[in-house]
Amino acid sequence: MNAGSFAFWMRIASLFLLRSRRTTVVLSLMVLLSVAILIFLSSLAVGINDAMVKNSVTLYSGHVAGFDLAADLAPERLEVEGVDAVVKRIENRGLLQRNDNIEPVMLVASDPAEEIGNTALWRKITGGRYPQNGNAEILLSEYLSERLGLDIGDQVQFRRDLNSPAAAFRVTGIYRTGIEKLDRSLAFCPPAILPDDESRWSAAIFLDDGIEAEAIVRQYRERFGSAAQFKSWQQLMPDLRQLIDLNYVSMSIVTFIVFGLVAVGVSSAFVIFILKNLREYGIVKSMGVTPFEIGLLIALEVGLMNLVACIGGVALGVVASHAMSAIGIDLTAFTSHNRYFAVSGVVIPRLTPYSLWVPPAVAFGFGLAASIWPTMLVVRRRTAEILRGI
Amino acid sequence: MIRVQGLGKAYRSGRRQVEALRGVECSVEQGTALAVVGKSGSGKTTLLNCIGGLERPDSGSVHCLGINIHELSRRALSMFQREHLGFVFQFGNLLSYLTVFENIEFPLALNGISRRERDLRVGALLESVDLIDSARALPGELSGGEVQRISFARAVAHRPQILLADEPTASLDSQTAHDLVRLMLDVVREERATLIVTTHDPVVIELADSIMHLRDGKIVDETRATVL
Repeated sequence: MNAGSFAFWMRIASLFLLRSRRTTVVLSLMVLLSVAILIFLSSLAVGINDAMVKNSVTLYSGHVAGFDLAADLAPERLEVEGVDAVVKRIENRGLLQRNDNIEPVMLVASDPAEEIGNTALWRKITGGRYPQNGNAEILLSEYLSERLGLDIGDQVQFRRDLNSPAAAFRVTGIYRTGIEKLDRSLAFCPPAILPDDESRWSAAIFLDDGIEAEAIVRQYRERFGSAAQFKSWQQLMPDLRQLIDLNYVSMSIVTFIVFGLVAVGVSSAFVIFILKNLREYGIVKSMGVTPFEIGLLIALEVGLMNLVACIGGVALGVVASHAMSAIGIDLTAFTSHNRYFAVSGVVIPRLTPYSLWVPPAVAFGFGLAASIWPTMLVVRRRTAEILRGI
Repeated sequence: MIRVQGLGKAYRSGRRQVEALRGVECSVEQGTALAVVGKSGSGKTTLLNCIGGLERPDSGSVHCLGINIHELSRRALSMFQREHLGFVFQFGNLLSYLTVFENIEFPLALNGISRRERDLRVGALLESVDLIDSARALPGELSGGEVQRISFARAVAHRPQILLADEPTASLDSQTAHDLVRLMLDVVREERATLIVTTHDPVVIELADSIMHLRDGKIVDETRATVL
C-alpha cells in the first residue's frame, strides 16, 4: 500500500462519515459523552482521595512529620525542593492541673502565625481564639477542658511532672477536631513561654501539590541519616492509606464495569453502523476492492469517528473537571461526621494522566475491536450474497 | 474472450435445494455483446455473478481473458475485477455517500490513475451520458434513468475489457432504456469490450450480437448474430 492509496481510503472514509451525518453525529456523541463522563468521574474520585489526604495532613501532622530533630538542625535545611513550609514544634510532655484535677498532656509550643498559616486546626476552634505570641496562653481540646472544668479565660497550670515547678496559662481557645488522637491530650501554646527543653524539636512539613511524601522522606534520610526520624503521612496514618488504596481499587472496579457497559454499547452501535451500510461495502467489493482494503476502509471509518469523538470527549471532560475544580464540589452534607473530612467537605476534582488517557484509549480500542466482526463478515461473504440483501 | 464450462450452482432455500445453474456452457468472443434472456428465476443473474466472480459456482469453470477466475485467491480476484471488469446493476448501486463525479472516479482511483487523467476521463464520461451538470449531485438526488447512466459511466470508466450488466433497463421507461442501451453498445464497440447483459428488454435483445435463452438454469437456445 502506498501513501497515495492510503490518502484515497482516508478521503473515502471521511466522505462516508461526513455524508452519513446523522448516524455519525449520534454515534460520535455517544462516544464523546461516555469519554467525557468517565474522565470527569475519575477526576472526581482522585479529588475525593486528595481531599481526604489534605484534610488529614493539614489538620496537624503535615505530609511529612519529623521527630526528635537536633536543636542545631535549622528548619530551613528541611526546605528542599517540593517542600512548601516547615512548622517547628517543641513538644513538652507533662501534666495540666486545675485545682485537684490533673490530666496528662502534650503541650506543643509553636509559632501561632506558622500554625495558622499552614495547618487547619485553628478552624476547629469551637470557642475563643488561638494563643498569641509572647502571651502565656493555651489552646485546649474540648475533652481536656471538660475533664479539667476549664472555660475560656480560666487559668491552668502546666508542670513536667508532679515535682516540677508549675507554669500558669490562661485558656484562650477550645477546639474539637473529631479525631480522637488530636482531641485527647493535645494543647498548644506560643514558643518561649515555657522553660523549654530546646535540645530536640519536631517538624510538620507541608509539600507542594503533586509531590510524593515518600520521596521527600527518602531525601531526608539520605541527607540527615538515621539521627533524625521522618515519617510520611502514609506511615503516620496507615488507615487513611488503606482507605485510599481501597478507593482506588473500588474506583477501578466501578470504572471497569462502566467501561465494560460503555464498550458493549459502543461496540454494538459500531456493529449496527457497519451492518447498516453493508450494501455499500458489497458495491465497493464488486468493483475489485481487496479484503485488506475493505478492512482498512472500515477501520478508518470507525477510527476517524472514534478519534474525533475521543478528542471531543477529552476536551469536554477536561473543561468539566477544570470548571468544577475552580469552584469545588461541596459534599459537606455527606462528610460532616467523617474524620477524613474534618476540615472541609469541598472536593476539588483533579485530572491525572491515567484519568485522561484510559477512557479515550479504551473507547478507541473497543471501537476498533468492534469493527473486526463486521469486517470479517464483509470480507468472507460473497459479494453477490451481500448485494442480494439489498 | 469468456469461456464458461459446465457451470453449476445450487442454493438452499429453506429445506429446498434450488439448482440455479445446471451445466451451463458458453463462450463469448472479445468485442461482442451477448444478451442472456429468460424468465425470473431462470438463473440469469447467477450466471452473470459467476462470470464476474461475485459468486463461486459449485461446479465448472469460468475463464475470462484466459484466466480461470475461480481459482484465483480473494486478493487476485479483486485485482482482476478492478482492472478488467465493469458491472452495471439493475438498480444502479451507486455509493450513496459519494457524488456523481466521485462515483465515476472511484474505479479510476482504485486503478491508480492520476488525478489529472481522472478529471479528464470523468468529465468526458459525464458529457457522454449527458449529466455534466449533475457532477456534484448525490445519488439520492437523481432519477432512476440518471442513476443507471451514472452506473454505466462508472462501470466503463476504467476501460474494462468485460462489461457485465444485470437487467440495466428493467426500472426504466422505454425511451430512457433505448438511449441507455444504444450508449452502452456504442461505448462497448468503441472500446472493443465484451458485454454480457441479462434482460427481458426487446430493444437489448434486438441490438445484441448473440442471444442465449436460459430456463431453469439450463441453456435452451442460443442464437448467434453477426460478430462485430
